[in-house]
Amino acid sequence: MSTATSTPTGTGSEPGRKPIHKHTQPSKRGRMQQRWLPWAFLAPTIVGMGIFTLLPIIASIALAFFRWDIISAPTFVGFDNFAEVVQDPTVRVSFINTIVFVIVAVALQLGLALGLAIMVQEKLPAWLRVFFRSAFFFPLILSAASVSIFMRYLFNEQFGVVNWLLSIVGIPAVPWLTTPTGSAAVVILVYVWQNFGFSFLLFIGGLASIPVETYEAASIDGATGWRKHWFVTLPLLSPTTLVASVMAIINALQVFDQPYVLTRGGPGDSTRTAVMVIFESAFQRLEFGQASAIGVILTLIIMAITAAQFRLSKRFVFYQ
Amino acid sequence: MSGTNGALREFTRRSALTALGAGIVGVTAASWPRLTGADIPGRGDNSLSIAIMGTAADAAARQKVIDAFAKVHPEIKVKVQAIQAVDWKDFFTKILTMVAAGTPPDVVYVATEGAQLFAEKLAHPLDEFLRRDADHMKEYFADVHPSLVEAFMYKGSLFQLPIDWNAANMYYNTASLRSAGLERPSDNWTHTDFRSTLAAMKKAKPADFTPYYWTNRLFGGVVPWLYANDTSFLKETKSPGGEWLWDGFYANDPTRSLRSGGYQWLEPNADDPRVFESFDYLRGLVKDGLGVRPEEGGGSALIGLFASNRIGTTPAGGYWVQGLHEAGMTESDFDVQFFPKWRTQRHQFGTAGYAIMRTAKDKDAAWEWVKFSSSREAMQIVFPTPNTTPARRSMVNEQLYAGTGPRNWKVFYDTLDRFPTTGPIPAPPQQAAVETALMKNVSLAVSGDERQLKDALSSMQRDLELALRRQP
Repeated sequence: MSTATSTPTGTGSEPGRKPIHKHTQPSKRGRMQQRWLPWAFLAPTIVGMGIFTLLPIIASIALAFFRWDIISAPTFVGFDNFAEVVQDPTVRVSFINTIVFVIVAVALQLGLALGLAIMVQEKLPAWLRVFFRSAFFFPLILSAASVSIFMRYLFNEQFGVVNWLLSIVGIPAVPWLTTPTGSAAVVILVYVWQNFGFSFLLFIGGLASIPVETYEAASIDGATGWRKHWFVTLPLLSPTTLVASVMAIINALQVFDQPYVLTRGGPGDSTRTAVMVIFESAFQRLEFGQASAIGVILTLIIMAITAAQFRLSKRFVFYQ
Repeated sequence: MSGTNGALREFTRRSALTALGAGIVGVTAASWPRLTGADIPGRGDNSLSIAIMGTAADAAARQKVIDAFAKVHPEIKVKVQAIQAVDWKDFFTKILTMVAAGTPPDVVYVATEGAQLFAEKLAHPLDEFLRRDADHMKEYFADVHPSLVEAFMYKGSLFQLPIDWNAANMYYNTASLRSAGLERPSDNWTHTDFRSTLAAMKKAKPADFTPYYWTNRLFGGVVPWLYANDTSFLKETKSPGGEWLWDGFYANDPTRSLRSGGYQWLEPNADDPRVFESFDYLRGLVKDGLGVRPEEGGGSALIGLFASNRIGTTPAGGYWVQGLHEAGMTESDFDVQFFPKWRTQRHQFGTAGYAIMRTAKDKDAAWEWVKFSSSREAMQIVFPTPNTTPARRSMVNEQLYAGTGPRNWKVFYDTLDRFPTTGPIPAPPQQAAVETALMKNVSLAVSGDERQLKDALSSMQRDLELALRRQP
């Protein structure tokens, strides 16, 4: 407080000593300040969250019960949108694709991030560690759309660099983006390449927090190589793994940019994801009610999966 | 002076916070004009806001037209807003978002893909203005092919005046053709001639050469092959009406009897045996390595590949000429021919023009812009190079293609003049859903065996039924 040296509650005028505050009853103004000041500081965030997050969520839930094309007035249709969405084969396929994508992409992302984090942290000199940390994180700061456009050229069946490289070792051209398996593989590959850097950094942080003594103790007990990682690193990294997996799954469930730019969901519906269907329903077919209904379903799925993860974490996460 | 340190720190911290606060206020105040949204066309003043698809450079390029317009109509202030988009579908999405945000433009440059969506939901018909200014507009219609105009008729009313257009013609690399020992294809070459040409090109060229490159999209993809085979993936019918326009402006046109109140695409047609036949033909090209499995996306990336002699043929419109020229191709390096004949030689085309929005503040001013933009003076300013085909026949001339080629540039407008049944891109008001239904099944249809083709067409039929049942 600015009045520290002038109030009778302190002896701050004495050189070299901090003022001592007596535990007196604060004034009415002080009590008001204590009560409202935290809220005043929180207000901008609360208002921002309310306007830009909470309101759209509420509006989206409400919109799921209406038929609305932006231009005409909305019409209340009850649960019709949900019924139509559930019966729509494209929506069903997109949800299956999304789940498959999440399982494969998240497993690859976490596996790659963990493996590289251990490698970088253990085996490399400090300057190389810095280099790899930056190099692995770099794709994350690039625009997903730009990366995907670039990758489309790389994976072009006729003229792409990838097939040219394969041809050098005698492998015939692979139809990367024009077959269901090829396009799904490319979408996953591009997504994992672009996103594993974040998990990598989390694991690097997690690894740094494991005490060296624990490894030394394990060594004294005769643990070497893989056994150290299996019995020391992985259990002690489990809180980091939980955070990384929750974030990776939530992000992967919302994948849009890569499949949209690389394949537009094709061939067929092979790379169409749930968020793509939301976008197509809302902004291309002008069915905002149906788009909202799909959004509500996706939100419930994300919430259920996240809750399940935290529930399971009680059994698998080891806190020091 | 340790006793004053605390007070000094307090003072400094407070000063710093005050300075920070003052700074934020200052920066906010300094950037106030951007924060008000006054820069958004249509907001804050009564100027006519016009949305086009393109970049800021495209908007700047329109300035010469705006200046010319200002000389004729100094009382109408015009702002052009260029909206960058991957394709027309993307552009329409952004326009609809502007509508939802309550900031729609007054006039929008709309291509065939969105013509019926706008006519059904957003655009104001031009009928009253055309009747009023009929004498003035006669010269325009005399210079523009009625097929282009008919593409903008919807339920008997006209919603846009065609400014530019493109048909799916067949570009070929003359060096590749020569190396295959072939001459320029004849005007009435058939789909079997085309296949033989591709086979000869493939035989004469190395492995990284692609005889036929095509993309999976509504324009220039599978549709020209369907049209050539006298079918389409949607059943095509026509609305009654429109006599006021045809009798008023095209009474003596030899194709007058073909004209209607506009196209209608009300039912799916993917189960038509001719659709199967067309897809099977393309499947054969893919299977034999004569054509690629079509990828999504536009054709801009192809220009470099075509210019480096790695592609033999590809369907495209007049918009390709300037690109090929800039990529280093000379007049003799490439040429263009009509799309190969099958049961018909009906081509596919797309056109574009300005639509006045129903919400336009001043429709009379908007009409003046539309009218001026259709004038020869304005179109000559907008199309100094052959980066599209002007809707006015008189402008598709030797002068436009001098120095760029192709030698047979007459093919572009002759596509309409010689094949007057040439039709627009099938684009009902539910175009976005229809396009998705088409594109998502094309790759599968041409990439596997006959069973996969049948499954893909059944899936397309089902998707189209759903798309057309939905309201736009």
